Amino acid sequence: MELAEIEKLLEIYFKGETTLGEEELLQEFFASQQVPAHMEVYRPMFLAFGTAKEETIEKEIVLLVNRTSQYWKWGIAASFVILLGIAGFMFTKGSGLSAEEEQALAEYNKAKETMMLLSANFNKGTDAMLHLNEFNKGIANMSVIDQFNQSKSLILK
Amino acid sequence: MNQKEFLATVLPYKDKLYRLAKRLLVSAEEAEDAVQEVYLKLWKGRENIGNYKNPEAFAVTMTKNFCLDRLKSKQASNLKIVHSNYQNGENLQRKVEANDGVELVFKIMQTLPEKQRMVLQLRDVEQFDFDEIAEMMESNPTAIRVTLSRARKAVREQLIKQYNYGVS
Repeated sequence: MELAEIEKLLEIYFKGETTLGEEELLQEFFASQQVPAHMEVYRPMFLAFGTAKEETIEKEIVLLVNRTSQYWKWGIAASFVILLGIAGFMFTKGSGLSAEEEQALAEYNKAKETMMLLSANFNKGTDAMLHLNEFNKGIANMSVIDQFNQSKSLILK
Repeated sequence: MNQKEFLATVLPYKDKLYRLAKRLLVSAEEAEDAVQEVYLKLWKGRENIGNYKNPEAFAVTMTKNFCLDRLKSKQASNLKIVHSNYQNGENLQRKVEANDGVELVFKIMQTLPEKQRMVLQLRDVEQFDFDEIAEMMESNPTAIRVTLSRARKAVREQLIKQYNYGVS
């Protein structure tokens, strides 16, 4: 790259009007060994930018959240176990019913009674159906009358 | 967004964020802490990261704001950053003569106003385009160009001063 061109680039560089590509050309130029004396003063500037970009963070980034989220899950599991324990204790104990449970039991018994009544009536209905059988038997007997009529017509012949 | 996706998205920026933080806070340790804090904040708000069209710019803005807050609270409590004595002519002269003005440039950068420091860092070190820098700095590309030009000229001016001092 010609010196005149570099000088022109430098001029617009300080105006803040160079493109990223042009700035790269300047960086390359000042990284090379052929920098004329009158431009030597700019050299540290471009070298510094290149050097600065090589710096990296040494310390590792820590996101503690992963460990706490595990604790959170264990917390839920533990509370389930405790709930199951309490429930088991209540059920095996049996007699110690609360007022609410007592009422629920009474409701249940009432409902059971009603259902029994309905069932009894339903059975009555099916008993009545037995009479239908008698009717069917009667119809079967009617076939005897048929036979009678046949034999009667034979006799009349 | 799970941890794996989160890290794949934002972890690649960690060095850029660190360099910006260090440019502002100067101390490497403080810059590391700042980056750590920014990542915890990003992690807490990870559900929203997908909504930002440029997560990198968002992370840079967060870092910038975090560091500026730190600097403000430091100033308030009178804990001033101790600058290395870059005015020490003799020391500088030796460095310039050894053609190792790189340290000098860093020290000059430390004396610039924070906005100029950041823009110079984001453009000349990290090579972001003006639109991106404008987004990161919550500004507009024209204003960024003006700030950048001032920063570059300020560095040049100081360099020439030191260089002439060394030569003559």
